[in-house]
Amino acid sequence: MGFRNTMIGAAVCIFIFYFGLLASLFFSTNLKGFWESLVHPSTLFSIRLSLIAATIATLLAVAIGLPSAYALSRYEFRGKRVIDTFLEIPIIMSPIALGASFLVFFHTPLGEVIQQRGIFFVFEFPGIILAQFATTAGLATRLMKASLDEISPRYEAVARSLGSSPWQAFFRITLPLSFRGLLASVILSWAKAAGEFGATVTLAGAMPGKTETLPIAIFTALASAKIEKTIVLILILVILGLVALYAVRFTGRIFRYD
Amino acid sequence: MIRIEGLTIFLKTFRLMDLHIQIEEGEFHFLLGPTGSGKTLILESVIGLVRPKTGRIRVGEREVQNMPPEQREISYVPQDLALFPHLTVRENILYGIKAKNQSLTTGAEYVGSLIQVMKVGHLLERYPAHLSGGEKKRVALLRGLAPKPKLLLLDEPLSGLDPSIKFEIQQLLKTLHVSFRPTVLCVSHDFEEAFLLGDKMTVFMDGAVEQVGKREDVFLRPRTKKVAQFLGLRNLYAGKILTKDDRFERTLLGINNLHLSIPNRAGHSDLEMGRKVDLYIRPEEVMILREGKPVKESLKWNILKGKILDIADRGRHHLVIFQEKTERVLFEISIPNYAYRNLDLSAGKHVNVALRDESFWVME
Repeated sequence: MGFRNTMIGAAVCIFIFYFGLLASLFFSTNLKGFWESLVHPSTLFSIRLSLIAATIATLLAVAIGLPSAYALSRYEFRGKRVIDTFLEIPIIMSPIALGASFLVFFHTPLGEVIQQRGIFFVFEFPGIILAQFATTAGLATRLMKASLDEISPRYEAVARSLGSSPWQAFFRITLPLSFRGLLASVILSWAKAAGEFGATVTLAGAMPGKTETLPIAIFTALASAKIEKTIVLILILVILGLVALYAVRFTGRIFRYD
Repeated sequence: MIRIEGLTIFLKTFRLMDLHIQIEEGEFHFLLGPTGSGKTLILESVIGLVRPKTGRIRVGEREVQNMPPEQREISYVPQDLALFPHLTVRENILYGIKAKNQSLTTGAEYVGSLIQVMKVGHLLERYPAHLSGGEKKRVALLRGLAPKPKLLLLDEPLSGLDPSIKFEIQQLLKTLHVSFRPTVLCVSHDFEEAFLLGDKMTVFMDGAVEQVGKREDVFLRPRTKKVAQFLGLRNLYAGKILTKDDRFERTLLGINNLHLSIPNRAGHSDLEMGRKVDLYIRPEEVMILREGKPVKESLKWNILKGKILDIADRGRHHLVIFQEKTERVLFEISIPNYAYRNLDLSAGKHVNVALRDESFWVME
């Protein structure tokens, strides 16, 4: 077998592997049961909860991640390397470890004050957002930094020389130019948040009608041997993910200036 | 007037000490230095992207070294132009006027005439991606000039262009300068660029200014051998001052045992006896004498015998490599084509050469 065929063959194998996995879902379900599980109130609740939580968590991750990404992309400052390394903490740390760490934190004096005087996180809706934020903020920052790195700082230098303040130069030049990459970063971060399981279940629990996001619903459905529902939930999650991926491709086609 | 006074920059391993540049209003000034000499850092500190350790930058009456770039009124046109790709040509051009909250109506006439001179009127609704290289250059210059900056900073405006576009942009920059008299500081490593465009130039090497002067001053009378070499000048020789004759205002200079009589005015400073100097002989001022023809009195000071080693056709002129007989010193001689045709030269031919007084330049 030739070199080229070997390489392409490997790529095709990966495709068959994942496609087969998805196809088996359809093989094990029927339309009637599918529909019943889909419109079941608990399923609809999980969908809504996941969409809302992932969106809020992503917005928060962008709010802190975008300025951080800009700083890491454009400036040299003390501690930059350390910050850059810490962005990978949620990637190297198992999500369940992350969730457990939060539980530990909320039992420290500071954590207790926050819970009593401020927001209650443990086994509550804010806990979902916190868990999803924790797992995605680092990734979002990394991805957005990569998008900003692609835009030459010279555009801003010229804009500044023409009379723009740093804020104006950012909003009129750098932001629109990197918008495509930033939007793709946001969508990927959102998909990652929507699929988050380990940290969420540890911090917010798996309470039906309260903290049961889609991935958690899959876990509980499977645990109680509701195969039909499990498959429906998996498919919804897969479709959400595919829509997100397609959206990334789509943003690649618009907002192009070259 | 723009004055850079005592600019000193320390950045990582780079050191720039005590730079002074003065640019008159309406002057096209070149900062010329080899690649890696720190030109970009100077440029960035003038724009305000790099904070110098000490030194002052004056724009007119204002000291701007502590101001952010947007308050300095210095427009920057980088080498890659950095046209804003998401804005049309019109939006690019008007960017500075809008950013500075200048009135669009009062600036309209000026911008209109700029657009006319730059011939970009038909491009206003296009995006930069749909412009040719020359058109992009024009738009970038226009964008820089539109807000009427006190100084226009250009970074290597002619480098990386095709010869045809290069000529077009060169002409355009000249027209632009004649029509609007902007004060320009242009940074470059290309002496040809500087020669084509500049009024005055500052030659900058190894973190220090080597020479400041009008363009002819620098090219015809480089102050040091270092400058001459950087400018790509040939026919540089190490020599020694032998005797001086004050009656005829001439000096005898030796390249080893080859003695040349040069006029005293062919040097920046007084040439003392015994001093080691560098001599530059301008290739276009050397004359190959035609056999049998009488030699003018003014050419008789320095006539050398020798032979032609090689001839190269350089397009508009021929370059003749001449070897002098006694010391075997090589000279490059540049002859315009029309003169070359009358001379009947070939490699190996023995000829006499006159070094005209105008061909000499003595450097410290």
